Amino acid sequence: MSTSTSATDGTAEAPLPPLPQPDAVTQFFWDGVAEGELRIQRCQSCGHYLHYPKVLCRYCQSDDLAGERVSGRGTLYTWTIAVQPFHPFYVDRIPYIVATVELEEEPGLMFMTQLTDCTEEDLRIGMPVEVTFVELHPELTLPFFRPVQGRT
Amino acid sequence: MATAGRRVAVAGVGYSHVGRNTGLSIDDHMIAATKAALADSGLSVSDIDGITSVGTEPLLDAWLLGIEPVNWWASGMMAPAFSYSATQAIAAIASGFCDTAIALRVIGQQPSSSALVKGAGSNHPMTSMLHRAAGDRQFIVPFGAGSPVQWAGMFTQRYMQQYGATEEDFGNHVVTQRYHASMNDDAIFRDPITMDDYLSARYVSKPLRILDCDYPVDSGSAVIFTTEERARDLAQPVVLVESYALNAIRDLHFEVMSDMVHTAPVQTAKKLWEGTDLTPADVDTAQLYDGFSIIVFQWLEALGFCGDGEAAAFVREGNTRLGGSLPVNTDGGACNVGRRHGANFCIESTRQLRGQSGKRQVEGAEVAVWTNAVGPFAAGAILTKG
Repeated sequence: MSTSTSATDGTAEAPLPPLPQPDAVTQFFWDGVAEGELRIQRCQSCGHYLHYPKVLCRYCQSDDLAGERVSGRGTLYTWTIAVQPFHPFYVDRIPYIVATVELEEEPGLMFMTQLTDCTEEDLRIGMPVEVTFVELHPELTLPFFRPVQGRT
Repeated sequence: MATAGRRVAVAGVGYSHVGRNTGLSIDDHMIAATKAALADSGLSVSDIDGITSVGTEPLLDAWLLGIEPVNWWASGMMAPAFSYSATQAIAAIASGFCDTAIALRVIGQQPSSSALVKGAGSNHPMTSMLHRAAGDRQFIVPFGAGSPVQWAGMFTQRYMQQYGATEEDFGNHVVTQRYHASMNDDAIFRDPITMDDYLSARYVSKPLRILDCDYPVDSGSAVIFTTEERARDLAQPVVLVESYALNAIRDLHFEVMSDMVHTAPVQTAKKLWEGTDLTPADVDTAQLYDGFSIIVFQWLEALGFCGDGEAAAFVREGNTRLGGSLPVNTDGGACNVGRRHGANFCIESTRQLRGQSGKRQVEGAEVAVWTNAVGPFAAGAILTKG
């Protein structure tokens, strides 16, 4: 299988992470991640946010859509402790916390992520969380969320 | 009955040889299930003029089986499994599009996740998905998500937090279902279990345990529907479709649903009750999709058998156990009979209303409801003794 080979440092083969494949509709999101900003697609006509990004606003059918920086704050809607890996890259990373966060910009604007800088015991629904960018691999940085400092 | 069109009945039901890694092809399962349903009904291939399937291509199946002419067919891809086939077939007969239709769900067991992460080699069917996640999946797979057990874990966690339910509450349901399976010779798991067994089962995505998950198998399931008039001349006691419903509330992204407690079953249940003068109090047995335990809880509440957040207590009090006020999943559910993606619930409902469920028969059963799926989409039907 196509695991990466760290030929230069001579270590054993380490699995590559699953990498996003940006396209014309999603490129803004990954550009934002590279610059340390969480950007969510927003309809420039009616103002609704859309995630996952699409080519049409499902609220007003406008195609005038653009990625906009959001605050990166939200509340924890739910979570699960992943104890079984479904990708070779994650085999040595279990357990980890998969979570869905409701972003503060709009009710019902949900963002699926991982939680970091916390333990299972810290978690409760509705707790304030904020984005933090985590480099999992030289080729993959992701927007994870963590409890807002001092408010847990 | 308030449903429009011709009255529809269940004519025959059947399964293929179901099991783990049967070595049989998808076609083998489709053919075996079809023959079993035909034999059950007393019909022959020449009586069938409509076909629908999730898991196989109905026109190819029709040609293979010798169904000709095909007056109606439907293929389900992004659909709530067997309940899509069934509700489409019912609607096609009710409307007069065709007279006798077979509804299929055929499943070839997927490669296990452990085989996947161990890297089964470049010929592994999912290898191409492993390293580049495109489209919506670019926001899911890199995050270590994308398995159904993870959204199910999140649905379960949210429910527990919102209503104060506990892991034992799901255990009560799992233990009850296994008790029912112990009376079903066709179930794969038949040994009764205890709460301790449940609580010592491994997590797959905490709080979801392995015993909360349906059991992956190769299976073929078939149900033949026809008009009430024709059904009255056939081999089996008549079972009628009282009401049916199918709905979707979004695309297939469970993990970003803004309400993970009230999902598609709410709308399906509303439509089901709008299609009949019956009420939840009239239902003698319910066969509710148990791809994960939390789904049964959602259906119990959506259908109005108990209030919001009350499913845990409803199960704990023994209502869903055989002999209780509403025996649920009397065949043992998909956790114990193996994955049929909804078909077993229709088939067990039919058998209960015919009085053919043997040791697990609900005495005097006249009304049954069966359902399938959760989250973005769902469907189901209310059946009555004819």
